[in-house]
Amino acid sequence: MENVWFLAAVWVGLALIATLLAIWFKISTALSEIVVGTVAQFIIGAIVGPAALGSSSAWVSFLAGTGAIVLTFLAGAELDPDVFRVKWKESLVVGLASFGAPFLGAAAAARWLLGWEVGASWLAGVALSTTSVAVVYAVMLELGFNTTEYGKAMLAACFVTDLGTVLALGLIFSPFTLRTLIFVVTCGALFAILPIVTPRFFRRYGGRVSELETKFILLALFAMGGLAIWAGSEAVLPAYVIGMLLAGSVGRDHRLIRRLRTLTFGLLTPFYFIRAGSFVSLPALAAAPMVFVVLFFAKMVSKLAGVFPAVRAFRYAPQEGLYYTLMMSTGLTFGTISALFGLGHGIIDAGQYSHLVATVIGSAVIPTLIANAFFMPVHLRPSELPEAEPVREVPAAAGKEAENV
Amino acid sequence: MFRRILVAYDGSEGARAALRRGIELAKALGAELYTISVEEHLPHYAASISEVKAAKEEIDDYFHTLTKQARDQAAMNGVELETVIRQGHEVETIVTMAKEGSFDLLVIGYHGHSRIFERTMGSTAQSIVRLAPCPVLVAK
Repeated sequence: MENVWFLAAVWVGLALIATLLAIWFKISTALSEIVVGTVAQFIIGAIVGPAALGSSSAWVSFLAGTGAIVLTFLAGAELDPDVFRVKWKESLVVGLASFGAPFLGAAAAARWLLGWEVGASWLAGVALSTTSVAVVYAVMLELGFNTTEYGKAMLAACFVTDLGTVLALGLIFSPFTLRTLIFVVTCGALFAILPIVTPRFFRRYGGRVSELETKFILLALFAMGGLAIWAGSEAVLPAYVIGMLLAGSVGRDHRLIRRLRTLTFGLLTPFYFIRAGSFVSLPALAAAPMVFVVLFFAKMVSKLAGVFPAVRAFRYAPQEGLYYTLMMSTGLTFGTISALFGLGHGIIDAGQYSHLVATVIGSAVIPTLIANAFFMPVHLRPSELPEAEPVREVPAAAGKEAENV
Repeated sequence: MFRRILVAYDGSEGARAALRRGIELAKALGAELYTISVEEHLPHYAASISEVKAAKEEIDDYFHTLTKQARDQAAMNGVELETVIRQGHEVETIVTMAKEGSFDLLVIGYHGHSRIFERTMGSTAQSIVRLAPCPVLVAK
């Protein structure tokens, strides 16, 4: 399809369908968009032609890439620095174990059980090492764990795991040339300056209709993303670190985050997730279902082997430890970003990409269901039910609201 | 007779009927009146915390408005209404609150928001009637 506006209408139409499905089935829009992208490519590809959806066109790639970068920035900016300071030891140990064990375990399984090439195996390790902080956060919020020390420590550990994933993705496939050195030095300088300059700059010039803050953040993300690509690294690496460094300042500006959210979820991430889904090959998945099984169990078993002992070392009971481990076994956003990076750089082929994305989606859903069905540490949930009170006289005045949210 | 009445209230047509009945009963019997509103629509398997937070803010706004309207409606009838908002599975949360709050009457609407879902997967009202620890009045 050569008419850009018709093609844009198709993509936005797909995003709308995905949003409606997400509302009806009570799942996230991102997950729905991946599935819609996969099915749309399958149907449109069969009827019109494989390139009809235009997933590889420059403008779609730009919007999708920007979506991934801004989404990664927001993910970093959502870190709660205060919790991390209090629980840094536990978060660091559990988070690193949660990254390291599946990184090695999944890579080993891909290499020796599936016979993938070395680069593809490392990529599988990176994609399956992730923990979805958003999946964990939603469960914590729904069950009230987000207000407990247990839930806060788990969320902080998720950020460490994802930092490990992003660093691995940014550096493992890097060629380590002079460009890499320039990239690393520039990153170091910028990472030192940004947390000091940004809040002052925003205080001086921010809060206007011209959206200076958004432009400033996009400038930093695009410039560092460009430098990362130039150095043979990945644009999401500086985006995530910039997000984490600005979490204490920009991350607490709820109005700014809300505006970025509107831009990201309204326009950018639909292109990213639908595009990610459109590269999934259903025939490839159907042809080798055992690949999914091997990758899925490689992730689960290695997460269990790494995270459970680390959690137990911090004196959690077995049930609490298992729940913690299963939650840390979830994955979604960084898993798909890693897989798409691999596909885009020719590290993995379309079949391997399809299996990795399927495994990532499986790991978002299955561990959560098992954890909540069998291992939920109910005793750690904050008490929220009102005590039964003795019968009392009913005053005439209006009542009050007793919220326990 | 009934001294503590709990109304399951999600703002649907059925729930509004349940609230009207609850207010009438509380007024007639001099009973304590509570509503329980269950937030069960947080997106599962979200891509970012922002998505979850945005959904939570929307839900909070909706339920704050809803419960304020309910309290105003009760106050106009001279009844004090205490509203509770919880997260979780609708049936489980309502039944648990009825049980642990020692309510002796639970008032629910015949239909919630999703009639299609209820017709295909079974009604929330049916499940609550089956599991509730106290008498249940189903309002139409």
